[in-house]
Amino acid sequence: MSFYIPVGPQHPVHPEPLLMKFKVEGEQVVGVEINVSYTHRGIEKGLEYREYLKGIFLAERICGICNAAHTVCYTQNIEQLLGKEIPPRAKYLRLIVEELSRIHSHLLWLGLAAHQIGFETLFMYIWRDREKVLDLLETITGNRVVTSYNTIGGVRRDITPQIEQKIRKALDYLEERTKYYKKVIMEEPTILARTQNVGILKPSEAVELFAVGPVLRASGIKHDVRADDPYIAHDEVPFNVATYDTCDVYARILVRVDEVLECIEMIRYSLDHLPSGSYRLKIPVIIKPPPGESVSRVEAPRGELLHYVKSDGSPRPYRYKVRTPTLANIPATARMLTSRGDYSVYIADIPIIFGSIDPCLCCTGRVMFVDIEKDKSWVWTYNELLKYSLERFEKHA
Amino acid sequence: MEVSYTSIFIIVINREGDGIMPKPGYMIGEVYKNLLKKRATILYPFKEKELVHLPEGFRGKLVFHRDKCIGCQMCFRVCPAQAIKIIEDEKGKRPVFFMYRCIYCASCAEYCPVKAIEVSNVFENIAFDKETLVVK
Amino acid sequence: MLEVLYKILEMLLFPGFVFIGILSLLYEWIDRKFYAKIQNRVGPLYAGPHGILQPLADFIKLLSKEDIIPEGADKPLFTLAPILFFTVNLLLTLLLPICGAAGVISFTGDLIFLAALLTIISILVYMAGVSSSNRFAVIGAERAILQLIGYEIPFMLSIISVALTSNSLTIKDIVESQSGIWYIFGPHLLTFIIFIIAAQAELERVPFDIPEAEQEIVAGWLVEFSGKKLALFRIGRDIETLLMCGLGATLFLGGPLGPTIPGLEMVFYALYFTLKSIVILLILSTLRALFARIRIDQMLTFSWRYLIPLSLLSLLIVRVMA
Repeated sequence: MSFYIPVGPQHPVHPEPLLMKFKVEGEQVVGVEINVSYTHRGIEKGLEYREYLKGIFLAERICGICNAAHTVCYTQNIEQLLGKEIPPRAKYLRLIVEELSRIHSHLLWLGLAAHQIGFETLFMYIWRDREKVLDLLETITGNRVVTSYNTIGGVRRDITPQIEQKIRKALDYLEERTKYYKKVIMEEPTILARTQNVGILKPSEAVELFAVGPVLRASGIKHDVRADDPYIAHDEVPFNVATYDTCDVYARILVRVDEVLECIEMIRYSLDHLPSGSYRLKIPVIIKPPPGESVSRVEAPRGELLHYVKSDGSPRPYRYKVRTPTLANIPATARMLTSRGDYSVYIADIPIIFGSIDPCLCCTGRVMFVDIEKDKSWVWTYNELLKYSLERFEKHA
Repeated sequence: MEVSYTSIFIIVINREGDGIMPKPGYMIGEVYKNLLKKRATILYPFKEKELVHLPEGFRGKLVFHRDKCIGCQMCFRVCPAQAIKIIEDEKGKRPVFFMYRCIYCASCAEYCPVKAIEVSNVFENIAFDKETLVVK
Repeated sequence: MLEVLYKILEMLLFPGFVFIGILSLLYEWIDRKFYAKIQNRVGPLYAGPHGILQPLADFIKLLSKEDIIPEGADKPLFTLAPILFFTVNLLLTLLLPICGAAGVISFTGDLIFLAALLTIISILVYMAGVSSSNRFAVIGAERAILQLIGYEIPFMLSIISVALTSNSLTIKDIVESQSGIWYIFGPHLLTFIIFIIAAQAELERVPFDIPEAEQEIVAGWLVEFSGKKLALFRIGRDIETLLMCGLGATLFLGGPLGPTIPGLEMVFYALYFTLKSIVILLILSTLRALFARIRIDQMLTFSWRYLIPLSLLSLLIVRVMA
């Protein structure tokens, strides 16, 4: 005897709205339907109306937490179109801010995951330590979350030796605290009971459903854009790709904690080897790139981020497309949330499974129609959408 | 018959079990240490306003120096949020900044050739009317 | 005649309803402040000095909110559940020995009476959840009954171990037989630990707040109550906290006994009772901060695989050491 439970659009566990309709029998989840289109804001259309230099600030606000990754991807894209190469000091400075924002994102997520299994104390401690990273970002870039550090041709500010001292001191503190949290996660029995053997995604399924980021790396597959297709200074700064084999929520938590420790090492290395020189190229305010296309990929904290631009010689892009990592992880989530065979999912597992992909739904909504019976899929153009909405308004007015 | 119940205790607690039993309450040391530490919250705004520490390069409200402006309109061209309007006064063209549209990106301060726009660290930009939020 | 009047005054004022009400609000404040201090933050701060009036402010605010009854709800049960919850808890606190070895109500076998009415409280929770026509409430109510199956037996066994040592099922005799040495220093340390765990499960606090899990089923069985009914549930929960802490202090820490001045006995006994139950409250608050929430099937496994054998073991220890 099954009935439907809606989780969302407003629910204490969701930081952003989405709808998941679960079919449950008692305490066991039998089926799920996910609808992610609640936060569509029309950013891709907005980018077509802004010149390239102003578009950085719009692209930055696609996601508040991954904003460093979005600006790196955008500026890299335009620089590839223009055919320019940024100076080496700018590459290292971009890497420092990108890795700091990755530490911030992972610590924020770790606190939220602890909150979703009901462990309020760990949540408060982790968010207290995250304030140190936010203070660092404020000192380097001028603002806590939306940093606006990158610009086309380099970065906007330089770091002085006093800022370098502050970064090193904060990194020592963060390393000690992250190692303590890793020990707590590996030893506390209630956390182990809630996260082990929960939300299993086998390696073959992960590859088949195109999972990205820590979700893929927790299923044992060693894939990271920083190692496979290096951008900015990642070919010169060494690091290890963190993978785990157990394919469950516990592995995803440990992958992210290991990534934080790796980021700390990378920042220390790049502070030691920071090249001198200028940190910014001189670029005119109105940019007119030659007609062409360009694609750039970046490892955002949540996975692989893709930007595509097509320009036709005018100061504004002709088409800009963004593919965010959470959208790629949604089919894998739907597979993780259904019980099949031996593997059963309980209602109590829903928040932590959904939280373990690190959902950032403000980046996600794209509208696409899929017709399963006729086996075709299509996307509406703006005129078709306008016609449909006017007809509906006539009918229901 | 006297049974030493402490020995029974040790056997039970050291059992290598599954799930719940091994080492429950790992964070107990941390929990009691934090009882003695000072709190991490700042009681802003009623009591401890001065403890809020802002670093040097913080991007807050803009300050405009009229005497340095040469009327090149560069700030108007760079602003991503269209928060600047160019008006004419007795010395020539000059910008007026609408802080309720501003996104605090500091592009105008960066591209101004004579550094007439300065970024202060005032962050409490709220008002009951729009006039307070216009920087002239 | 004067005796009856005196008894009624005792029941209403001290140590009866008004005293219990004030004390339960104070206990909620202590719990919230202690929990906040553990997490490096401040708890309630602005209502009264150091926020001491915050639970009272919450209660009064809830009384003034609109009381919505959902359309498909079972009206008699829906209205009756909060009233019975509050009343049964308040009634049970009259059995606690606050001003002497005997409570305001005391008769032979009142320990069993208390344990039986505690089971009825959990059934009231089920009634409250099922009578709201909401799927989250039904899931929460079903989890509450599953949890009752888990913690009920260890709770009863720990109470029975204490009763075995004192050879009586009356609270008055249990308190009086602790005048030599408190039971916690005697053979009852394991029983005390089991009682603490079962009390945490009875009060539905982390790690056992499964019926009311905020992140999964949005307040569980409480979800459709609002206004006066929610206020009654919340203050009923506070009174139940006082009941459990008081029961722990009575059974294991010697109740209100301690050195007194003859003549001022009532004041001193009440003071000792309050201090001892605050110690138990602080232990329960620390447990609340240390753990994550476990799943319902894990809770049942934990209870039947570990707690029940441990409580049988404690029964054996008590029998052997007596």
